[in-house]
Amino acid sequence: MMVEAGHLALCLALALSVLLTVFPFVGAVRAQQQPILLARPIALLMFIATAFSFYALSYAFWVNDFSVYYVANNSNSMLPWYYRLTAVWGSHEGSMLFWVLILAGWIAAVAVGARQLPLLLHGRILGVLGLVAVGFNAFVLFMSNPFERTLPFYPVDGRDLNPLLQDFGMIIHPPMLYMGYVGFSICFAFAIAALLGGRFDSNWARWARPWTLAAWLFLTLGIMLGSWWAYNELGWGGWWFWDPVENASFMPWLVGTALLHSLAVTEKRGTFKSWTVLLAIAAFSLSLLGAFLVRSGVLVSVHSFAADPDRGLYLLAFLLVVVGGSLLLYALRMNAVRSQARYQLFSREVLLWSNNIFLLTATLVVFLGTLYPLVHKELGLGSISIGEPFFNQFFYYLTIPFALLLGVGPWVRWKQQQLHPLLAPLSYIAMIAVVIALGYQALAHDFAANLGLLGLLLGAWVAVSAVAETLLRIRQLGGGAAGLWKLPASHWGMTLGHLGFAVLVIGVAMTKTYSVEKDVRMKIGETVQFNQYSFTLSEVYPLKGPNYGGQAAELEVYENGEKVTHLHAEKRFYPVQQTVMTEAAVDAKLSRDLYVALGEELDGPSWALRIYVKPFVRWVWLGGILMALGALMALLDKRYRRKSVSEDPAHA
Amino acid sequence: MRKLQFFIPLALFLGLAVFLFSGLFSNPRDHGSALVTQPIPMFSLPELNEPTRLVTHQDLKGKVYLLNVWGTWCATCNAELGFLTKLRQQGINIIGLYYVQPADAAFGEKFEMAALQQEVARKLAEQGDPYQFNIVDEHRSLIFDLGVTGAPETFLVDAQGVIRHHLVGDINEQNWPELSAKYAALAAPVTSGGPHE
Repeated sequence: MMVEAGHLALCLALALSVLLTVFPFVGAVRAQQQPILLARPIALLMFIATAFSFYALSYAFWVNDFSVYYVANNSNSMLPWYYRLTAVWGSHEGSMLFWVLILAGWIAAVAVGARQLPLLLHGRILGVLGLVAVGFNAFVLFMSNPFERTLPFYPVDGRDLNPLLQDFGMIIHPPMLYMGYVGFSICFAFAIAALLGGRFDSNWARWARPWTLAAWLFLTLGIMLGSWWAYNELGWGGWWFWDPVENASFMPWLVGTALLHSLAVTEKRGTFKSWTVLLAIAAFSLSLLGAFLVRSGVLVSVHSFAADPDRGLYLLAFLLVVVGGSLLLYALRMNAVRSQARYQLFSREVLLWSNNIFLLTATLVVFLGTLYPLVHKELGLGSISIGEPFFNQFFYYLTIPFALLLGVGPWVRWKQQQLHPLLAPLSYIAMIAVVIALGYQALAHDFAANLGLLGLLLGAWVAVSAVAETLLRIRQLGGGAAGLWKLPASHWGMTLGHLGFAVLVIGVAMTKTYSVEKDVRMKIGETVQFNQYSFTLSEVYPLKGPNYGGQAAELEVYENGEKVTHLHAEKRFYPVQQTVMTEAAVDAKLSRDLYVALGEELDGPSWALRIYVKPFVRWVWLGGILMALGALMALLDKRYRRKSVSEDPAHA
Repeated sequence: MRKLQFFIPLALFLGLAVFLFSGLFSNPRDHGSALVTQPIPMFSLPELNEPTRLVTHQDLKGKVYLLNVWGTWCATCNAELGFLTKLRQQGINIIGLYYVQPADAAFGEKFEMAALQQEVARKLAEQGDPYQFNIVDEHRSLIFDLGVTGAPETFLVDAQGVIRHHLVGDINEQNWPELSAKYAALAAPVTSGGPHE
């Protein structure tokens, strides 16, 4: 019964999304307030209906209702309850329902949280979002319905959740990622609504900014979680693979980052308008493109869902309507919009513009690397594959100038900056950065001019510059605690974000340069020496989990004779899906990770083990977390919460 | 001019959409190998059960056959053996190209033909034996020349020794009809002698 109720609720959500599209536009055309005012309650109702539908599917998983195809294919009565619930979004149909739920959630948030907007703009935004929701609701209902029954011949037990997905990281990685992807639909709706209305003032940018920040925040966390999960679950110590689907999430992130910076210019200086609008459209378009690539089977990837050309065709048609339509609107409307601000060559505008150029070049690199093989093949030129070296090389060359400019950017004023006053502080910063980088390298490693040193230099340059600039601003605001307090939250956000980037660059460069790995064969009691660490295999015993078996190994790690840690590595076997999974043992410290993956049992008895020492790998994720924190700080800025006076006559 | 520049994003997107559309209808795992229509690379490799006998590209001329790249370590290959065995019973010529995984020096492993013979015999007894014989490519030289990216992969080779099709992944009920038609078309003029030559 519950399943049918959920199904019905989903139909209701589709109907409501149609109403949500129709009413605001009717109101806008007829210049009537009532239809627009109706959009808010409709948006809320749609959220409730979708949430109920999602609840119904979760309930089917909870009670092991294997008469539902989706449950039978992705769960098992032996699966622990928490994985049964996360299995709801473990495969295509359920994850689409989850996507729709998040979309409805964002729409409800806009309906409630953006009430200070002018009514017409608010209505248009909700209308555009309604149109997007129609597309996705119909997709779930007609092309990938999770509520289909197996009746009358239902299986006794389910086929279990893919063991790769039975992990804590997997519980929260998709929600975060979807929050990000779908969040960009809000920026998109802001852009389209503005195009329809033909007004882009700094108010518009100020309203759009917090939504962009929120979406970007979630996307950053989602990508970082995915990377962290791959590191722990895949058992080969990697944290980024340039897999087509990772790329599909990385492209909206890069464009979203560009959008954040471009919005700053539009808000503060009222220029870069057409650029900002294009980026807002692009960020969401790339999110949609990602969904298409993952779910249509066009590309081969570990993430691919079961390929179905009909679904691909639907998504492509949707893509054409949404992206094609919005770009057409952009082309028709945008040439009427003029930006008037004047600025000199050396100004913050130009620096932010070059930030955008670099970020978009990076996007283009990822885009070509991901899609060029497809284009190449469809042109009949044969199959090619583009791998890590391509991406790594381009990112290496792009990061250097990008980081150098980033160190300068925050110091430069709007409109026009004299080079002279900046020379002294910037050269101090450069010197400090060089001392830190060289000093650290000489202390920790043998001094070597390599990628690690370059990363340290660039990271230190960006970080020292960000900190010094913030200190200067605090002093200008009166110094001490008072200055600390007066510095706007958005400025703290920027500083944290840039620090995060610095930490990330250092982490990537150092772990690329100084990671070492070793494949060994060990008997119980045996010890291998590895750099300054010695690993002793003390015990291997059979493992008994709720829905898996396998082996676990215990290792003791000593550094120069002193015990560092104890490691517990597992090799799990999931009988239902006949899959072997690695649970790597990781001892994490800020300066290095010790990482052990348990391999096959060999004759002897002995075991194959793969051991890594990975310096600074934590910094990769720490950088991401800092960037996300930066976005959070910026979101807390007072100016986004100020109510518009005209809307609030009671307090006027 | 200024008007037109705002149409650039739309034009780029529409161009991309064409490729996405055509990509929908082609199999991403179908590599369309560059070797198709090329003669099979020269090689001279031992036969598994009679390692002193070297098989060369010349020996295989004169009949249409499937060259199946496989290994006992490859789960998909093992799953495929049953279906291939059925094909052999229908008179399809299948020759195995055994993919020897690199011996791991760190574990002190070295390649032993006798151990491999036992391993293969055990696996084929268990799953069915589709092969007329197996060629062992210890140093993966032919496998490299063929541009094999993994196992299983299968090449359809005609009587002149020219590669006619390259299939990445397993042969199964779904993709066999297409390959079967090609095989039949090539085999028809030169009435092949069946599996028991």
